[in-house]
Amino acid sequence: MELHANAFGRNARKALLDKSLQEALGRTTGRFLAHRDAAVAAFPEFEATRERASRIKGDVLDHLDTYLARFVEAAERRGAIVHVARDAPEAREIAARIARDEGVTLAVKSKSMASEEISFNEALQEAGVTVVESDLGEFIIQLAGEAPSHIIAPAVHKTRQEVSRLFERHLGEPRTDSIPELVGMARRHLRSKFLSAGMGVSGGNFLVADTGSVVLVTNEGNGRMGTILPRVHLAVVGIEKVIPRMADLPTFLRLLPRSASGQAISSYVSILTGTRSAGDPEGPERMHILLLDCGRSAILEGKYREILKCVRCAACLNVCPVYQSVGGHAYGWVYSGPIGAVLTPLLVGLPEAAALPDASTLCGACADVCPVKIPLPDFLLELRSDAREQGLKTPGEIAAMKGYAGVMKRAGLLEALERIAGVLGQFFTKGKGIAGLPYPLSGWTERRDFPAAAVQPFRKQWKIKRGVRR
Amino acid sequence: MGPSGSIPVSLFFTCLADAFSPGVCHATVEVLERFGATVRVPLSQTCCGQPAFNSGNRKEARAMARKFLRSFPDDGPIVTPSGSCAAMVKHGYPVLFRDEPRMLARARAVGERIYELSQFLVDVLGVTDPGSDFSGKVTYHDSCHLRRGLGVVEAPRKLLRAVPGVEFVEMEESDRCCGFGGVFSLKYPQISCRMTERKVERILATGASYVTSGDLGCLLNIGGLISRIGYPVKAIHLAEILAGGAGGGPPGAAADAKKGGG
Repeated sequence: MELHANAFGRNARKALLDKSLQEALGRTTGRFLAHRDAAVAAFPEFEATRERASRIKGDVLDHLDTYLARFVEAAERRGAIVHVARDAPEAREIAARIARDEGVTLAVKSKSMASEEISFNEALQEAGVTVVESDLGEFIIQLAGEAPSHIIAPAVHKTRQEVSRLFERHLGEPRTDSIPELVGMARRHLRSKFLSAGMGVSGGNFLVADTGSVVLVTNEGNGRMGTILPRVHLAVVGIEKVIPRMADLPTFLRLLPRSASGQAISSYVSILTGTRSAGDPEGPERMHILLLDCGRSAILEGKYREILKCVRCAACLNVCPVYQSVGGHAYGWVYSGPIGAVLTPLLVGLPEAAALPDASTLCGACADVCPVKIPLPDFLLELRSDAREQGLKTPGEIAAMKGYAGVMKRAGLLEALERIAGVLGQFFTKGKGIAGLPYPLSGWTERRDFPAAAVQPFRKQWKIKRGVRR
Repeated sequence: MGPSGSIPVSLFFTCLADAFSPGVCHATVEVLERFGATVRVPLSQTCCGQPAFNSGNRKEARAMARKFLRSFPDDGPIVTPSGSCAAMVKHGYPVLFRDEPRMLARARAVGERIYELSQFLVDVLGVTDPGSDFSGKVTYHDSCHLRRGLGVVEAPRKLLRAVPGVEFVEMEESDRCCGFGGVFSLKYPQISCRMTERKVERILATGASYVTSGDLGCLLNIGGLISRIGYPVKAIHLAEILAGGAGGGPPGAAADAKKGGG
């Protein structure tokens, strides 16, 4: 997927002016949040489960090599073929080779954020394979030629009217405002694809090390149909998705749907283990698992390793007031919201995405809801500090910070400047709020008054009151 | 609780209140003294360094943190009318000094001593009746760093409910960020403003005459939008409500007039 993370400011301003986006965002994030809060409130063991999940993921990160090796061995024992890609170009090459070797011309794909990281669809199209997105949201944005704007609800930015216009243009369907009718149109269109596709492509929410299983947590059933009907199944999954034991899965299944959509359990949980054996009524004849490193083992080595605990529930997006205001596309890559603001710079390099860690008020709402307790605000702060150390701050900001720190070195100097500001404030605004200031304060005063400084700062008043002579 | 002997308390008045709302500092002193504290005001204090730390400029933040630690050398509690400045000292300083064991120990020790005003009144002094004659319909905005950083949720509400003249009303989404975010409000002012607008909508929906909070940054931000549009609600610091008297103008204005300030 093309990277525009450093255009965050410009894209965010555009998003703020997009009325239908604003309407869609307010409605959907609000609904997810309300459902999530209700589901958590109705689940008294939430905190304890969260603690356990975070610990299990911590153990995985400490022994990722071991668990991955165990997973690969178990999966291959069940007939799967496991591939590992170090980076996106290698992943694309492997995916194209699999499709070519398997003689695939049409693939149906269920939702996978990892596949977006490597521009999977483009890679297969270049290899002559048609890829049809089968998740409803992904299907919609594929028709629109857009990228997902939310981890679990990729078309969250689209209103039903926009979807109907797309279906009219691309599928020749009549216009409707009815969501069930729109779903019916997509289903009719996709059914024939499921039946004729040579390969089903999926992501993976968990990789179970002791059984070699790929676990899919979905709501639409497309994931299950697409991984069972076609002759070949290809799962594209990040290496950090491994969990040690099947016995650990319930911990995560209790957390993920509740955090994501507020469901106690998703409509479908598919545990896909190996290829069809003799006597199995269904299942793929061939199963490929493409494990993506793509920057993950580098993250594992550093101070941000806990970000790899993420289960992609998107609760941090829904609760983030910045995400709620601008939506996912403003973040300019696969992942958005607080997780995107941390993960994108780590995966693509901070120079390419230094605007993202700044896109937060550090309000901490994300850390409150994270089901695996990732310290997202701490990581945002840390990345901002890295940006300074890597020379990515503007000279203006550094000069301002140096000047401000210089003033704060001496209380006397601060007081003198405060008194000058107080006099100016009286002179220009008679002590009332200031309506217009030059850059970099101009953004503030566009729609808000800036406070005028007090004539006498508190320090001075206190000295007079207490008779301190200094 | 009445005066209970003399508790020495150091006031960390914050640079923001010093420059823009001295009345908030006076109000803080007044309330602390009402409950038996002897308030010391270290005059060498300046800024805790939060804007530098939050924007990733740790070198400058560290210089200010050193200065802060030098300014509060004594024992005893440090009280501040700001949740975010208290959280900076408590949680930010250990990060700044993580590679300097001696400074880290000092930072942690000072972090143990620091309290936001309402937290200190309720949790340490056990105040149940603030003894304020303030009157009006008031709603409360949770500052993110007071609520999530220090875990202070109930203390300010208990105090507000205990003021006889205050009709306390909760706003929806009281714990949703107001959009200030320090340097964020300058880097992404349009997003910041959109968040402030939503906050102000929630405030107006309560019909309150006053919105209060434990952080001046939030109040200057919220108050700045209110004053631009001219909405019939005033942003006023919690300390000023607890000190009593009529509220008016921007945060600190009422007390400033009383004290012969700005």
